[in-house]
Amino acid sequence: MSESTPQSQNDAQSTTDGATETAADATAGTSAEPGTGAPLDGDAGPDRTTAGETDERLREEWTQYQFAGEPKLSVEDLDVYYGDDHAIQSVSMDIPRNSVTALIGPSGCGKSTFLRSLNRMNDRINSARVEGSVELDGEEIYQDGVDLVELRKRVGMVFQAPNPFPKSIRDNVAYGPRKHGELRTGLVARLLGRDDSEAEAELVERSLRQAALYEEVEDRLDDNALGLSGGQQQRLCIARCLAVDPEVILMDEPASALDPIATSKIEDLIEELAEDYTVVVVTHNMQQAARISDQTAVFLTGGELVEYDDTDEIFENPESQRVEDYITGKFG
Amino acid sequence: MSLGTRFDSEGTLVSEESVTREAVSGGLAALAFASFIVGVLSLFQYLPVDTAVAGFTVSTLMGGGLTLVGAGTVVLGLASYAGRFETSPGHTGGVASAVFVGLLWSAVGGLVAAQTLGLSTLWPAVALLMGGVGAGVALVAREDLGVTLSAGLFVLLSGLVVVTGVVGPGWRWDPNGFSIVATGTVGVPVIALFAGLVGAWVAARVYGGFGAQGRQTGAYVLVGTNAAGMLALLVAVVSFIVVRGWGPMTEGVRYGLYWGPVTWFNPPVLDTWVIVEGPILWFYWPFVMEGYGLNIPIDGVLPAIAGTFWLVVGAIVFAVPLGVGAAVFLTEYAEQGRFTFLVEISTNGLWSTPSIVYGLFGLAFLVPRLGNTPSLLSGQLVLGFMLLPLVVITSRESLKSVPDEYRDASAALGVSRWETIKSVVLPAAMPGVVTGVILGVGRIAGETAPILLVTTSSPFSADVAGVIQGGFSFVSSFPFVTVPTLDLVQSSNALPYQLFAIIGAGLGENLDFAWGTALVLLLVVMSFYAVGIASRVYFRRKLNA
Repeated sequence: MSESTPQSQNDAQSTTDGATETAADATAGTSAEPGTGAPLDGDAGPDRTTAGETDERLREEWTQYQFAGEPKLSVEDLDVYYGDDHAIQSVSMDIPRNSVTALIGPSGCGKSTFLRSLNRMNDRINSARVEGSVELDGEEIYQDGVDLVELRKRVGMVFQAPNPFPKSIRDNVAYGPRKHGELRTGLVARLLGRDDSEAEAELVERSLRQAALYEEVEDRLDDNALGLSGGQQQRLCIARCLAVDPEVILMDEPASALDPIATSKIEDLIEELAEDYTVVVVTHNMQQAARISDQTAVFLTGGELVEYDDTDEIFENPESQRVEDYITGKFG
Repeated sequence: MSLGTRFDSEGTLVSEESVTREAVSGGLAALAFASFIVGVLSLFQYLPVDTAVAGFTVSTLMGGGLTLVGAGTVVLGLASYAGRFETSPGHTGGVASAVFVGLLWSAVGGLVAAQTLGLSTLWPAVALLMGGVGAGVALVAREDLGVTLSAGLFVLLSGLVVVTGVVGPGWRWDPNGFSIVATGTVGVPVIALFAGLVGAWVAARVYGGFGAQGRQTGAYVLVGTNAAGMLALLVAVVSFIVVRGWGPMTEGVRYGLYWGPVTWFNPPVLDTWVIVEGPILWFYWPFVMEGYGLNIPIDGVLPAIAGTFWLVVGAIVFAVPLGVGAAVFLTEYAEQGRFTFLVEISTNGLWSTPSIVYGLFGLAFLVPRLGNTPSLLSGQLVLGFMLLPLVVITSRESLKSVPDEYRDASAALGVSRWETIKSVVLPAAMPGVVTGVILGVGRIAGETAPILLVTTSSPFSADVAGVIQGGFSFVSSFPFVTVPTLDLVQSSNALPYQLFAIIGAGLGENLDFAWGTALVLLLVVMSFYAVGIASRVYFRRKLNA
């Protein structure tokens, strides 16, 4: 590959703007570099990239990742547009079940957008348009007749900033199952003798235990969730997600708003969750990706998936020069 | 003497307390504030300007105080300019202060030129000149000199005018070309409270030692005095009504205990009546427990209270669900764009539509369709129409302020939009919705014009609109209930209308009944507020507890 220019100011930017990642993904990603049209087969002219990145072409074999068994999620040629912005460019990747997949990349590279398209949260953004295919256990989720309620029950999501409801801890955890009619509490249920209070208490305890929060809150389950610390709130959000019994958990920088101790708790939790769930986690923090993930996908500017492989391979022996530059901190 | 620019002035970290300056200017500020307070009191006739206090009239005392404040601040400013005190003046008094002082002086100049000197067409020029000089002094001279000279001299002049009796208690002024007459009983207090405000501001600037600190103190005093004046005004209005209305309202209140049967029962085994007797409290408050009639010794406003109560309750029951529903649709479902913008504009317009227009609509549209007689129901609907826009506006604002994170979190759990609105968005928006309803109730409870048109027939009624009892009973045939006299479609009275009718009936000086009614109206509105505020606290606590 050609010369690698010195590290740019992008560095400082990317470490601080985690809070605006989603928005940045939505708009800044491609508008900043309107000409970034890197085709996968790489037979067009030289790619234009951000300052600091090496000029190179993508190779298909970099994103070919082989693993045993059926993929949990299978993404084929996914394109996402925000109005005229092309946020995700023809991304294909298969995500194995019961593992942690990390998505890393600089700000505005589309990793959050990619994550949000896995449970169709992009539908909630008016200007977003999705093309391509995402299959969950072999079933296409972008087709007519998909039940979004069922999809999002199976593919749960944890957001960057902890967002518990202004309700009690118990109500937060039980919210999903109650709304799905799996738990019947309240006056009518009590009158009909179908009160599920015990089942609810059990579910709340189990979910909170899974999220490693139960011991800290067991005697104040009826207190408002907004009284918890940031790290506890984030684990509560994970518990709330677990309570609806998902198969896949999407996490959008779940620890970026937290202090180091809370972050390490969340990281431990993610590794534990991977035994039973398929976890896809977006992170800004490369050490975090290296610590917790089984395989890593690197997105670079313009919404392209550049490399996808075992985490060890990505961090020790990346095939792309740009990925190497990125993970060694030359840009991003 | 330095030029006082910020480059050559040495800032001190710990300023030497200038005890004299602070004591004197603090005293002057207090004196000016006292003049302001006395001015307010005498304006409202609590302390008329010709009252003698310690051998002087109130007018002379206020004038003397203001003269002292004006002279004192000017002296302090000169002393500061001469370097007697340690102050940190800026090189200009500031544009805002200059404009303020300029307006004061142009008013003085204009009045003197037009009225005292009688310059018919030249007075604007004089006003402009005086204003320009005043503003110029404040702007060009160093801050300590400029501010104290321009504003302090204004206070001094005001004080002198009052203390010398140029504008005294016996003063009377009917300006040429205006059909108003100003008298000393109003003129002196107005001068006193206005000049008192200016004096307190200048003295506070001196107290803070000019510069940033001085401006801060000056602004603090100005804003604080302003707030105090506003509060004084509100207290004056309410206490005025209470003082006038308390006597008539509580006339003939009697209470006591009597011995009587408290409860009685017939146990099956004994088969005899057991009667338990005990002391029973009786209470009679004619003004709020009686109607208006010839055979009633003390006339009361009970029919009007009941009418106002049912009107407000009916309007809330009608408008709140509709308004909140519309707001939910507009905020959560409708595409934000031209349509919602248009709806927003028109709801704002509807809210500012005069109530008599609503009343006319009710008279022309509702009354013919609801029994062709003025009725409680028409009044409820018309007041509901009036309340509706405010409920929509405030509910929309509070729904918009619910963080999108809640909606995202709920959607990511696979919960439908309606369920999300019901169990997350609306509870979070509830305090705002209730605030809107409280504001709206304040308006509709006191509304007279639509009531006059659509609800009332006789201004002094003896009968209470019994919406709940109303002769309601169950019967054995369809529709199983019967209401021989449905009071909802009968005319009713309401407190604001009753008040209007009493005054309009020409009772002359005997307005006791009106004051009593006004106090009751105030209390009724306040009890609606109390309910609203309690429910807002309840909803807020549910969110934050």
